[in-house]
Amino acid sequence: MTPEFVNAGFPIITVSILIPLVAAAIVFLLNEKFAKPISIVSSVVVFILSSYMLLTYDPSGYKIQFYEKYAWIPQFGISYEVGVDALSLTMVWLTAISFVVAFVWSTNIEKRVKEYFIAFLVLEAACIGVFVAWDLVAFYVFWEVMLIPMFLIIGVWGYSERIYAATKFFIYTFFGSLFLLIGVIGMYIYNYVENDVLSTSYFDLLKLSLHYNLEIIFFLLLALGFAIKVPMWPFHTWLPAAHVQAPTAGSVILAAVLLKMGTYGFVRFNLPWFPEASKYFMPVMFTLGVIAIIYTAMMAIAQTHIKRLIAYSSVSHMGFVTIGTFALNQEGVNGAIITMISHGLTSGALFLAAGFIYERLHSYEMKDLGGMAKFVPVFATLFMISAMASAGLPGLSGFVGEFLALLGTFKVSILTATLAGLSLVVGAAYTLWLYKRTMFEEELLTEEKKEEYSKLKDLNTAELWSFLPLVIFMFVIGIYPNWWINLINNTTHFVLHKIVGG
Amino acid sequence: MTIVQQLVAGLGVPNFQVLIPEIIVLITALLVFVLELFTKSRILISTVSVVGLAVGALSILTISEGAITLYGLYIVDSFSLAFKFFLIVFTILAIVNLQPYVESKKTYYGEYYYLIIFSLLGMMIMVSSPNLVSFYIGLELMSVSTYILVGLWKKDYKSKEGAFKYLIMGGAGTAIISYAIALIYGKTGSFDFARIFHEVQDKSDIGLTVAVALLIVGLALKASAVPFHFWTPDAYEAAPTPITGFMASVSKIATYAVILRVMVEAFPLNNAIWSYGWAVLAGVSMVVGNFVALKQKNVKRMLAYSSIAHTGYILAALASPNGMGFTALIFYSLVYLFMALGGFIFLSAFEKNGNWTNDIEDFKGLAKKHPIMALYMLIYMFSMLGIPPTVGFMGKFGVFLALISSNVWWLAVVLVVTSIVSAGYYLRVVAYMYMYEPVKEGRFYLNPIEKFTVGFLAVMVLVIGIYPTVFWEISNVLTSVLIMNIGVR
Repeated sequence: MTPEFVNAGFPIITVSILIPLVAAAIVFLLNEKFAKPISIVSSVVVFILSSYMLLTYDPSGYKIQFYEKYAWIPQFGISYEVGVDALSLTMVWLTAISFVVAFVWSTNIEKRVKEYFIAFLVLEAACIGVFVAWDLVAFYVFWEVMLIPMFLIIGVWGYSERIYAATKFFIYTFFGSLFLLIGVIGMYIYNYVENDVLSTSYFDLLKLSLHYNLEIIFFLLLALGFAIKVPMWPFHTWLPAAHVQAPTAGSVILAAVLLKMGTYGFVRFNLPWFPEASKYFMPVMFTLGVIAIIYTAMMAIAQTHIKRLIAYSSVSHMGFVTIGTFALNQEGVNGAIITMISHGLTSGALFLAAGFIYERLHSYEMKDLGGMAKFVPVFATLFMISAMASAGLPGLSGFVGEFLALLGTFKVSILTATLAGLSLVVGAAYTLWLYKRTMFEEELLTEEKKEEYSKLKDLNTAELWSFLPLVIFMFVIGIYPNWWINLINNTTHFVLHKIVGG
Repeated sequence: MTIVQQLVAGLGVPNFQVLIPEIIVLITALLVFVLELFTKSRILISTVSVVGLAVGALSILTISEGAITLYGLYIVDSFSLAFKFFLIVFTILAIVNLQPYVESKKTYYGEYYYLIIFSLLGMMIMVSSPNLVSFYIGLELMSVSTYILVGLWKKDYKSKEGAFKYLIMGGAGTAIISYAIALIYGKTGSFDFARIFHEVQDKSDIGLTVAVALLIVGLALKASAVPFHFWTPDAYEAAPTPITGFMASVSKIATYAVILRVMVEAFPLNNAIWSYGWAVLAGVSMVVGNFVALKQKNVKRMLAYSSIAHTGYILAALASPNGMGFTALIFYSLVYLFMALGGFIFLSAFEKNGNWTNDIEDFKGLAKKHPIMALYMLIYMFSMLGIPPTVGFMGKFGVFLALISSNVWWLAVVLVVTSIVSAGYYLRVVAYMYMYEPVKEGRFYLNPIEKFTVGFLAVMVLVIGIYPTVFWEISNVLTSVLIMNIGVR
């Protein structure tokens, strides 16, 4: 199955990558006070471009659209090759919306403003690049470039343990990605030896028919890189540290975009390239996924630090994506992709909520919180919607993806589906627990606390506008998931074409 | 014909005109030598050196055709010309940064200049030697000049210690190499690479194996590969920082080039036992260099160990004795020039200030005081670590390609693991610069020349990293020249 390529009349993807970079250069040159407006405007432009692509994308058949290809390092057959299918496109769109939210939220940043926005702008360009690159070296370059700004964001603007967390994040990811690099180079060399073609293009490597043992080896090399990023149990320990220490906008991007790169990698590379190995590793992935879901949900319940709780809940939700992906059927992979989008929206919103609480009360610890709801009603409402979407309430985005993922899994392994399904209850428990301990329990408040709370200000304009897009799309996906499923259906079909045939 | 050409034609040596760059460099060295006796003006001396070297570099561009001269003792081909060009250019960069440094340290030694140029001349001879004799002469000229350069601060204990260690170890290396040359001559009856190649082609006996092993040991010592690296940290730390930069970049690259040339042209590729030797040395260098660097608190010393680790990365390409490996080695060597010199010049720029000690503590909050310089250092650190879009990634990428294409998986894994270890200390520098508050008050004085050099090299690291095609093409061409030379003559 070779995809069709629809060339871009206007290099819209390249422009989307360049806009944040150019904006970063402008911010670098101009006065500090221009940093915020320039960043917000550029991210909104990127969001408009990605929405335009989303709306004009043709979901019938499998076509790589807005496709561009230019020679880059011809000696090695490396080119700059970008384009989108539905999977890439939804991820690009998610990246764009998350960055708009992050920038709008960041209007209250005061420490080293210029550097802050430059780091985020470079990060945005790299994140978009990861999702649109079809050349493996270009993909890897974007994948690694993203480490530098994220390292700085956690390390410079984070909280007290930030340097440890930033270094841990960097070294974990770097470790995984070097194995990913070896895997990619291995495939490249193998392709050269077999077919005498020097190419790092995704589609050329797709044509390769690998020996079974080689498939297993390459699968493992790539999977290590992706699993750390997801993060799958037992590689998840960097995530709570990074989330707890990162500034709010950094957490939003980390949860909404960076974690998706891992699962994106599985869906994009592991399934189509290594069909046999994927089948072989299905039980392993199910086991790891279920452990992630149950174990980290338990961990989440035990937390008193609200950011750490949300971080563990992310690992748990990504477990659903893992089992959905490795159910290796249409429903499962569809569910995985929808969960990725939905988790991007909900976890982003939850981290914003945590940031809001910290800004008002200067603590992430549950013992210092509670009883806020009455004093900040608008925030309480939006937080409630996000929490419910995260817990998987029907009608909101979280439900659709997890339901589909479970449905897909159920067809393959009833045990896995049952265990994962049961943990949805735990998921609801910790989300409600989080909400109850931060928003309700007003009766536990002392008089002076009440006095203090009555002075709290509800969401200001910037905060409101960073919440709203996320919440709106939680409803959009939750109420009319068909449009999204229709969008990704053919892509999923392509992803699975070597596994299920056709 | 120019006058020079007529003159040399009169000497009766065929193809003498291809020696023009060497002659210009030699004249510059002698001129500076004489000038230094009569004037105390550092600016004049350094200007003369720079102008002389620049003319030398330009004269390389006028040579359109390679040739063998001095009756087979000297070969000028694209390989040697390209390396000579880079060597001269980076020597100029080191020299222009030497002047502000020694000025602030109040150590007026004019000897620095002509010693550097003599050392450069040695390297130029070395990279264009088709013969063990000229190879040996070049190597010695380079080494002896560098011994003195390290020890020139006579009154400083560290300088003496570093120079002494370097002299003893380097001398041992020289002895080993001469013994290897004697053995090779005894076995093959020739010093000429091509003749040796034909003689040893189908032979494998203990004498030859020992000879090659000794040659490898000697060269590894010069390239500071573990376990022959003990002189490196001390000599690097003791030398004035711009000289350290010169040694870590220019001398190193010349050594890699000559290693490549000797190994490829004199010893057959089809049963290249030497590649195992280099593979082991490279692996050990990566492990030791990176792990010891982790412990360093002094950034200059840390960079010295990092340079040992880089010797490992670069020589690892020899584990794959084919075109891909050689290309990777040449590419990595050329781009390593930019990172290594840049890093050391960065240190030298700050070291001029009395309250700067190269200790990692001094880096705290540097990004606040000198945001642009800190950004340059960040680029160097991530480049040495091998993160795209810097050129360090492209270098490692080439080495990975070479290793995996020759199925040397174990070395690739060593490279991966040690790269991750190296993140520990490179990231520490970045973290100290960006994530701590400044401890010392006031800004540091920086010379515009130094700012320019550091900035220029950092920008090049990024530019070549994003668009490496030109450098890959150069490396490809040089490799094909090298391979074409095998067994010819």
